[in-house]
Amino acid sequence: MGEKTTTGKADRPKRPIEILRDRLGGVSKELQASVKEQGRIRKLLRGALAGGPRTVPELGAECELPTTTVLWHLMAMRRYGQVVEAGEAGDYVRYALKGSE
Amino acid sequence: MPEIRKRYDALVIGGGITGMQAALDLGEQGYDVLLVEKYASIGGIMVGLNKVFPTLDCSSCICTPRMAESSHHSHIQVQTWAEVLKVDPEGDGFVATIEKKPRYVDEDMCIGCSKCELECPVDVPHEFDQGLGARRAIYIPHGNAIPQKAVLDAEHCIFCGKCEKVCPTECIVFDQVAEQVETRVGAVIIATGLDITPMARKPEYGGGRLLNVMNPLAMERVQSSNGPYGRVLRPSDGKIPRKIAYVQCAGSRDRSIGVPYCSRVCCMYSLKQALLLRHYIHGVEVTLYHMDIRAFGKGYEQFYQRTMKEGVRVIKGKVATIKEVDNNDLVVRVEMLDEGGRVEERRHDLVVLAQGLVPAWHAHGVVACDEASDGFMATPEGKINPSFTTLSGVFVAGVAAGPKDIPDAIVEAGEAAMAAAGRLQRTGWHKVPAVAAAAN
Repeated sequence: MGEKTTTGKADRPKRPIEILRDRLGGVSKELQASVKEQGRIRKLLRGALAGGPRTVPELGAECELPTTTVLWHLMAMRRYGQVVEAGEAGDYVRYALKGSE
Repeated sequence: MPEIRKRYDALVIGGGITGMQAALDLGEQGYDVLLVEKYASIGGIMVGLNKVFPTLDCSSCICTPRMAESSHHSHIQVQTWAEVLKVDPEGDGFVATIEKKPRYVDEDMCIGCSKCELECPVDVPHEFDQGLGARRAIYIPHGNAIPQKAVLDAEHCIFCGKCEKVCPTECIVFDQVAEQVETRVGAVIIATGLDITPMARKPEYGGGRLLNVMNPLAMERVQSSNGPYGRVLRPSDGKIPRKIAYVQCAGSRDRSIGVPYCSRVCCMYSLKQALLLRHYIHGVEVTLYHMDIRAFGKGYEQFYQRTMKEGVRVIKGKVATIKEVDNNDLVVRVEMLDEGGRVEERRHDLVVLAQGLVPAWHAHGVVACDEASDGFMATPEGKINPSFTTLSGVFVAGVAAGPKDIPDAIVEAGEAAMAAAGRLQRTGWHKVPAVAAAAN
């Protein structure tokens, strides 16, 4: 049997992003959990908004999330162009997925 | 970005309105200035404010020209994302040690296109919006930031590499490290500005736990057109607030929290915000509870009268507690001072605390200047040389020396710049030819 040639990931020099990640001790469990939770909440919000414009309390009830959490994520989505205002309902603003309003 | 040179005429610590003005006043006289700012953009607190009192001019419209002028001035070098670690006297001047924090972005190559920010999958509470809005782990500090360059928050980076892949100029530099640089300067101006008194110091007002009790800087951002919500909403549920209260002296004139002094600007910023709320929300009730209103500046008393004429209720009353009730509404328990001290409980759906000003920076361990008993920089010749500290050659301006409003801070910046220029001439550190010729 001939000698094995290793061309795996371990043999190549580390890229700067990997060096920085190692230097900072990798991604913390808290950050991993936070990013996962962000993904879960965004999916819920997008799903609810697919049914039409909603207010923050309506989204909170439908997605079973605290309204303050809904507002923060909704405003993040608004800032990055995924959500827009779609009128008012009493004391609340209605929000819609961009392009669906 | 040019490297920090070995020698400047003056070092200005802090790139807010005071620091920029001091740097410009020196730069215009021909002195070479290094302006060091700890945040990723210059502009300080002022660029995040909505409007200024009593004129209701747009705050960033006043601040951003100063930012651009400082940034492009031939005699001013701006170093953001950096901290002054040490200032030691040496001969007629000082040796300053400055730490440049890693931005993980090549500032010369970044074109501020935001593609990295748009691609980044991690949302983080944005400091510029007092945590009410989001930014990404890699981000441009804000829309008016100077420089318009991205900065990577490595603590929130998941190292997915998306920013690197999408960057059109390949400016992401993951192997940047912090760098300490020494430079020699002939004079130093401290313009490190303010923080607000922490809410945790007022447990009777919720101690920072109540969702609908806001700090005044958060209200500035909420009122700003480029703020986190794009309109005035309350943080607990996005409701358009209809009954809003301001609680004055919530962190000033209060020995129990170590802030016995009047912060001088709270009455006016509260009146300004209250008036603007009346403009922004149709039919909103705004009530301001105060011990006494201090409207001492040019046009301030007239502004106070205008605020009341435009429907803001100003009640002489001392707020004892703020408690949360159903629907995250708030009940304010207030002693009505003009009604014989009758105690009343009044319901609001949003409360803003008029928190006071404390110094944002302390000299201890950095430069051998004394602080006064209130924590601000000591100014032993306050009557005749208000910018002089206890260390010759080190000057102070703006809120670093004590609470004050923007016009007073700008005046003081000019005074500090002239005092620094005088020292540079006397010591011969840098004799500006025109000035030297005129003197001869």
